[in-house]
Amino acid sequence: MTAWSYYISTLAVYFGVNVLSALALNLQFGFAGVVNFGYIIFQSVGAYIAAVVVLGPSSGTFQQYVFGARLPFPIPLLLATAAGAVLSLLIGLFTLRNIRRDYQAAILLILSLIATQVVQGYVPLFNGSNGLTGIARPFSSSLPLPLQDYQWAYAAWGLVLCIVVYALVTWLSRSPWGRALRAMRDQEEAATAIGLNITALRLQVFVIGGAIAGLSGGLLVEYISAWSPDAWGYAETFVIFTAIFVGGVGNYRGVVLGVLLVPILFLELPRFLPQFGYPGLTDSLEWIAIGAIWMICLYVRPQGIVPEKRSIARRREKADSPEAPLTGQMEAA
Amino acid sequence: MWGTLVSAIGFGVVLASIIAVAAMGFTIQFGLTNVLNLSFGAVMTVAAFAAYLANRHGVGGWSGLVVGGAAGAVLTLVLGRGVFKAYARRGARLFEMMMVTLGLSLIIDYAIQAISHNNIYQFAVLQSTPLQLGSILITRTQLIIVVISIAILVALQVLLRATKIGKALRAMAADPDLARASGIRTDQIVILTWLLSGFLCGVAGVVYVINSQSVGYTTGQLFLPLVVSAAILGGAGSPVGAVLASLIMGVVTEVVSAFGSAAYSTVAGFGILVIVLLSRPSSVRGGQAGHEQLTL
Amino acid sequence: MHVQKIRIAVVVCVVAACAMTVAVTARGSSASGGKLTVAGVIAITGSSDFEGANQAGGLYPAIYAINAAGGVLGNQVVYKGVDTRGDPADALPAVQQMLATTSNLIAVAGPDTSSAPTIVPVLNSAKVPMMAVAGESVYDRNTAPYFWRLFPPDAANGTAMALWAKRKGYTKVAAVFGTDSGSQGDRPGVIASLKSLHMQLVASVDLTSSQPTYLSSVRKVIASHPQVIMTESDATTAGTFFGEMKQLGGLVPIVGTEATFTSPWLTAVKGALGSAFLKEYTGLITAPSKTTPAVKAYQQAVTAAKKQVPSPWQSYLSNPFSITYYDGMIAVALAMVATHSTKPSVFNNAIPQVTNPGPGKKVVYTFAQGKAALAAGKHIQYIGATGLINFDKYHNSFGNQEAVQSTSSLKPVELGVVTAKQIEAVPVKGA
Repeated sequence: MTAWSYYISTLAVYFGVNVLSALALNLQFGFAGVVNFGYIIFQSVGAYIAAVVVLGPSSGTFQQYVFGARLPFPIPLLLATAAGAVLSLLIGLFTLRNIRRDYQAAILLILSLIATQVVQGYVPLFNGSNGLTGIARPFSSSLPLPLQDYQWAYAAWGLVLCIVVYALVTWLSRSPWGRALRAMRDQEEAATAIGLNITALRLQVFVIGGAIAGLSGGLLVEYISAWSPDAWGYAETFVIFTAIFVGGVGNYRGVVLGVLLVPILFLELPRFLPQFGYPGLTDSLEWIAIGAIWMICLYVRPQGIVPEKRSIARRREKADSPEAPLTGQMEAA
Repeated sequence: MWGTLVSAIGFGVVLASIIAVAAMGFTIQFGLTNVLNLSFGAVMTVAAFAAYLANRHGVGGWSGLVVGGAAGAVLTLVLGRGVFKAYARRGARLFEMMMVTLGLSLIIDYAIQAISHNNIYQFAVLQSTPLQLGSILITRTQLIIVVISIAILVALQVLLRATKIGKALRAMAADPDLARASGIRTDQIVILTWLLSGFLCGVAGVVYVINSQSVGYTTGQLFLPLVVSAAILGGAGSPVGAVLASLIMGVVTEVVSAFGSAAYSTVAGFGILVIVLLSRPSSVRGGQAGHEQLTL
Repeated sequence: MHVQKIRIAVVVCVVAACAMTVAVTARGSSASGGKLTVAGVIAITGSSDFEGANQAGGLYPAIYAINAAGGVLGNQVVYKGVDTRGDPADALPAVQQMLATTSNLIAVAGPDTSSAPTIVPVLNSAKVPMMAVAGESVYDRNTAPYFWRLFPPDAANGTAMALWAKRKGYTKVAAVFGTDSGSQGDRPGVIASLKSLHMQLVASVDLTSSQPTYLSSVRKVIASHPQVIMTESDATTAGTFFGEMKQLGGLVPIVGTEATFTSPWLTAVKGALGSAFLKEYTGLITAPSKTTPAVKAYQQAVTAAKKQVPSPWQSYLSNPFSITYYDGMIAVALAMVATHSTKPSVFNNAIPQVTNPGPGKKVVYTFAQGKAALAAGKHIQYIGATGLINFDKYHNSFGNQEAVQSTSSLKPVELGVVTAKQIEAVPVKGA
């Protein structure tokens, strides 16, 4: 049973990491209509930063990296969060202007490919393709816990972060700022007309999402203690998007369920199947299924994988304030 | 020094020619239908495999281009009229349509992976001898690829500028409603565009594997970002723009590779895209509501 | 609401699938009782997927040989692939799932280089012997008791390449490596060895994988007038690069790492080089010093297991990785027979007892021979298809390296040997 405990606790940690990702993407995509197909870059920069500030100064022979330091918990996580935010700001500054949304998505996708090539090509940055290894887990030696309990403690810590972030994003979404986001998503021109600064709003939501992404990367890397370009292929972003589609765009509770269903259950269950076909066939089939889920979700709700303002937005308004002045205006328009 | 630069530019032209064939096919369709078609790379892979299989059955050499082109045209038409149109009827708009093409490309790419058992197959069918042009040393095959690319550009320009179909196509790209109102048979033009774009896509897939000499399920996937970048950079619907953009990306890639590290060359090529976004946002500016619509 | 219903339907389906899977697995695991499982922890998909094929190419023959000789202590052995995707983040849950659901796990073949830092501690604390393929120099001084490595460290392979080139009279070398993790892992060993042997590195290019053309890099290499190219990259990249090099008339001899002597790479480069391939390519691989009965036994086992071995099965007759996995598995099985135990904690320490040379030991070349000798109460020394196996106190054993060419049917043609002693004599800095 110990082995099961290890396995399930690891899945619990991954669940936490994916929930953070899904919350961030749902805030950006579901509420602000910003399509972050480069999400994995921001998770990855968080992971790298958290890794190098734990690893200690680079010796230069075994692995090379920048910013080597040995900082105590929780500073690495804070720096990871900051790194995600800063990189989001930089990338957001030029991708989030008034650009067609499909272009924007394609450009962010291309950026995530460039990022992989930069890290692979410039070895002194984060040790290139070989990646960083030997990143110590926080308190792994000082806590008087057997490894098995440590794993569960770490999973619990991940879930605490999830709850905090969940509270943050739901609060943000219900705040006037969140209503402005939805106004921007649904009626961009009208939102501009009533004086909302669209670019600033987009950038704000992009940076907040980036910060959460950085945090999720830090949480993951301190657990698996290694990070390399193979761990953050551009396609990983699609898995999270699929979770959001399945759970329901704009619906935070649904999205958490989506994470449980897609990256955890759907991608773990095939491991239990007896092997069939040639090795690797299951992997291809998984991706085909993910493509099919996209196609089905889009077919069922083509006018909006972005939620209809009349359904979800209205329901939320009812929930927190009867006034909803901004959206009210929008709908009248 | 000069020799290195001149030859790097020459190599850039070769690379640009490979990108340009695909970029022209992409942009023709993009300009008319407004679908940012991310399944383009998957179709390239299918076409490359079609040419590979044809070659195995004795249809060798340059006729592989026709086989690949035909495969690309048929598949693209099926996707365009069968799948994309169905989604448009359900109300998908620009962005949703891009997601549809992305989902489709996942399905096609991984279906090819499953069928090909994830192997790569050698495709060394058009090896040739070196050709010295000043300080530029390339192969004869590569020269032919450059010529093919130029020929396609000329043919497209003639089609767009000097024929009735071309005029109708341009009119539709500019304003589909007006075009329809003025009696253009829009359906036929759209079908023709899918076929043309698919044919060029297929040819591009084969050109790519002729030069890279092997084919695998990632063939188109890895090439797609270059194509999309060139099409966005060149402006939707403009073959000349796509070729110029391909030239810029190709030359920058090879010059960086010649003077710096090859590992950064592709990054530099993409970097151009970013710079253009910073300096020429008008080419990619979001349309006002209702202005940008799908024409399927 | 319509959408809500669909969502509920999806959830119901997933839960049902879940229950079914668990039921199937439960039945499956009870049915497989009495069978011993060896798990391959390796990249089966992803950019390093050829590693999985290399492994299956060696493990299926080993399992065939073991089962054909009556199995281990009356138990049949089965293989289970565990996909790391070449990524520690994917590897960790995969391995833990395997540990949780696999009864009678006797050993792991792997883990691979990229997931080793995360996975080795997990397997070690679960007390599972692993026959690792991680070439990193950290494991040269390994202290994990369940870790075993029959592969040469990356640096040793690089040193062998440099020694071979020097022996051929080459002094000016161009290094051409892909930016993928496998190639970048092997690159430092090659470069450091060149320095140690005072050879001249006239050009060094890194190739981003799967570009349509590499003309500028090709020109750079040709212009530096190397006598030999030392290389490793993924197959597609190598095919394009060397194809252009050949067509431009600048081809020079190529010396590849052990990873180049695998079927995708050989297929791609053979296609690109045509008739020049046999002449110009040399790979440095782990190899026996002379053809022993063990090699013959291995090849017979591959032929017998050709239905399970990935296609084309012939390529695994000579695949250095496959041969090494085969030897590792046979050694583990013999250790179990020698200790009359299938418990890793019991037989793990006995692995060197059945492989390392010693006075009065009977030399055996196959599992069947070893089993018979052990039954007759003898001490044995298994000489494998890779030759002499001699684990040191760090659980490392690497033998001679052999320079080989490859025929059009991907069969190796021996050119000469670089011995382990010669490799150790080269002081490689930084590795």
